[in-house]
Amino acid sequence: MNQFVTLLVGGLFLGAIYSLVALGFVTVFKATHVINFAQGSVLLLGAYVIARLHESLGFWPAVAVGLLAAAACSVLIDVVLIRRIRRADLGTLAILTLGVDILLATELSRRIGTDVLNIGAPWGNHVTELFGIRVATSRVVAGCVAAVLVAGFWAAFKFTDWGIAMRSAAEDGETASLMGIRLNRVAAAAWALAGALAAVGGLFLTSFPAAGVTGGVGVLALACIPAVVLGGFDSPGGAVIGGLIIGVVSVLTAGYQEELSFLGRGLGGVAPFAVMLLVLLIRPSGLFGTRELTRV
Amino acid sequence: MVEVAVTAPAVLDVHDLRVSYAGAVQALRGVSLSVPEGSVVAVLGNNGAGKSTLLRALSGTLPAQNGAVTGGTIAFAGREQPRDAAAIARGGLVQVPEGRRVFSNLTVEENLRAGGLAAPDKAARAEARAWVDELFPILRERATQRAGLLSGGEQQMLAIGRALMASPKVLLLDEPSLGLAPKIVERVGEVIREINDRGVTVVLVEQNAAMALSVADHAVVLEVGEVALQGTADELAESEAVKERYLGVPRATSTAERVESHAQPLEVEALSVRFGGLAALSDVSFTVEPGSLHALIGPNGAGKSTCLNVLSGVYEATAGSVRYGGRELTKLRPHRIAALGVARTFQNIALSPRVSVLDNLLVARHRLMRSGFLADGLRLPAARRERAEHEARVREIAELLGLTELERPVGTLSYGTRKRVELARALCAEPELLLLDEPVAGMVRDESAAMAEAITRSRAELGISVLLVEHDMTFVMGMADRVTVLDFGKRIADGTPAEVQRDAEVLRAYLGGAA
Repeated sequence: MNQFVTLLVGGLFLGAIYSLVALGFVTVFKATHVINFAQGSVLLLGAYVIARLHESLGFWPAVAVGLLAAAACSVLIDVVLIRRIRRADLGTLAILTLGVDILLATELSRRIGTDVLNIGAPWGNHVTELFGIRVATSRVVAGCVAAVLVAGFWAAFKFTDWGIAMRSAAEDGETASLMGIRLNRVAAAAWALAGALAAVGGLFLTSFPAAGVTGGVGVLALACIPAVVLGGFDSPGGAVIGGLIIGVVSVLTAGYQEELSFLGRGLGGVAPFAVMLLVLLIRPSGLFGTRELTRV
Repeated sequence: MVEVAVTAPAVLDVHDLRVSYAGAVQALRGVSLSVPEGSVVAVLGNNGAGKSTLLRALSGTLPAQNGAVTGGTIAFAGREQPRDAAAIARGGLVQVPEGRRVFSNLTVEENLRAGGLAAPDKAARAEARAWVDELFPILRERATQRAGLLSGGEQQMLAIGRALMASPKVLLLDEPSLGLAPKIVERVGEVIREINDRGVTVVLVEQNAAMALSVADHAVVLEVGEVALQGTADELAESEAVKERYLGVPRATSTAERVESHAQPLEVEALSVRFGGLAALSDVSFTVEPGSLHALIGPNGAGKSTCLNVLSGVYEATAGSVRYGGRELTKLRPHRIAALGVARTFQNIALSPRVSVLDNLLVARHRLMRSGFLADGLRLPAARRERAEHEARVREIAELLGLTELERPVGTLSYGTRKRVELARALCAEPELLLLDEPVAGMVRDESAAMAEAITRSRAELGISVLLVEHDMTFVMGMADRVTVLDFGKRIADGTPAEVQRDAEVLRAYLGGAA
């Protein structure tokens, strides 16, 4: 039982990190109808910049630069590639971002080589005890940061002019532009936000208990895709819940690997996708997604 | 009022504007229009005349529909119009889109805030907010509700309020009366006047000429992408030319000769349809005589399509009866009605685009074919003979409608031709009674002439009765034996085309109090 609770809590903290990355994914999808597969490599870019710079700049300035770099890279993808073919179909745009992902991830892996770069976080490999459960400090920090960001995001979305512009544009872009809402700015803001969220995710995914920044970190972000699909592509709330579910499922399956060994090894990586398929069988638009309506 | 309009400088000046879609379809062919500051200008015309295209060009939303300005200029407040929709709105030219299009997942208050984003400053926003409250107290009451939950009329008020939040100099309204009840249409008219009294210039696009002419100072009538008529609203409401365009001219050929027919009478009696609290049809009666061409007309939202949907079994009647040759249709499912020999076409084309014309037509013979799919698949002699017979009949019908290239995939044909293929398909089922839903909607003049010819010929040759639903009165005047006119779900006239044209109620419904 104790092991279960420990794994559950660990899973929720990991899930909080996935939630942030998934939230970025959903924001881009809502604002521009692009399924952004480049989110993973942008995440790697953010982590890479922090890892490279923390020694010379200090940790916090390096984080700031990392966030900016990821946001700028994300906006560039939108402005340079997506904007001119905004009305292309979903598949074309998704494959375009997949191409960007491969290019960027390959270049970053080449630079990293076989090294494992330390992210240089001040919490290092400390462990915190919460109600008798031992959890890596970095995960606790991640959980708090995620909670603050999600709350802030929700409030901004709900109450600010920016949030209203964003939601109007997401619902009916043409009418929003008739109301003077500049769709290109809304899109750029969404992409920038997604990039920054990816970098925050990258920071925590490469902190202890993870070894550090390696070329393979971008693949970790793949776990966010089941989170997004699970929650429903166009639902920010769904992304958060989906992230938490995926975190818990992958930590639990990894933790009980021995007991589940009849299913083969490496189950932790497969389980999120299995859960995603199960949910889709029952609710084809995800847990919170909008059902597609077709007029007869 | 007219004098003011004449002397005031133009705030919006459109000169020789040309617009095409997808690089080919010419939607506007040189439209010039000058909107004096502080006036209300109405843009009238039928479906496909280019009204919405003109508004799209003004508000910069053509690219979203794959359209582009290919010539001419638009000047707003003395300067050339920017190309970007958001920049235009921020400059003070704000459009209320057709079909209202409120942000239905946002609350009423949030919708208004979204409109306010284009306002020049905070003070303007606050002032506009107070004005919207004054104009539409209902929106204050509903402030925290999701806009999608409002009624159609309230959504129209919200859409107008949202646009006013941007403090527009010129307000463009696209079909604000579409689908609304008479009381609300009246209220929309009052609101437009109140907005105009505050110094906002209004450009109003309407199919409802009665409503538009009652609030406008000036009006232009568009026809197939050109300005056909223009003048002050009073002049136009009185003019014979407008009456002719909206009501048609009686022609010598208008009483077509009786045709030999196997069809039976279709009797509609006291038919009513309600959707929730809204009466879409109330107490409508008429009879389609065997072998006649009966037209069911009325302005948009009159209940014509609802009526057709009841006749073909798509909707259920709330009260009343529909009998075809003694059989009650209101309780039957659509395919049972079709089996009685009642066929229909749809307003939107529903053909398989990749399949040849011939195969699209053969599908309609299904009801009449006897050999099963096994016999057909094995090409047994009987099945082959049957197919040959059906193909011969299909070719006959196609020829009757002037369709020649039967091997071409339907998707490659022009719009007008596809609509005729759809008519042919309905005829291939060998109906006794054919229901046609707006067969010429969106067609240019040549295409609609070809369609009229096709309908007249097929009726004469095949001996069927036709019930034709249409809002363009001029189209049916030349061919119908009898006309029933609906307005807001009620029958307002029934008679020969000539009788209906002189009917005071009909004149009022189409042209307003002027007549």
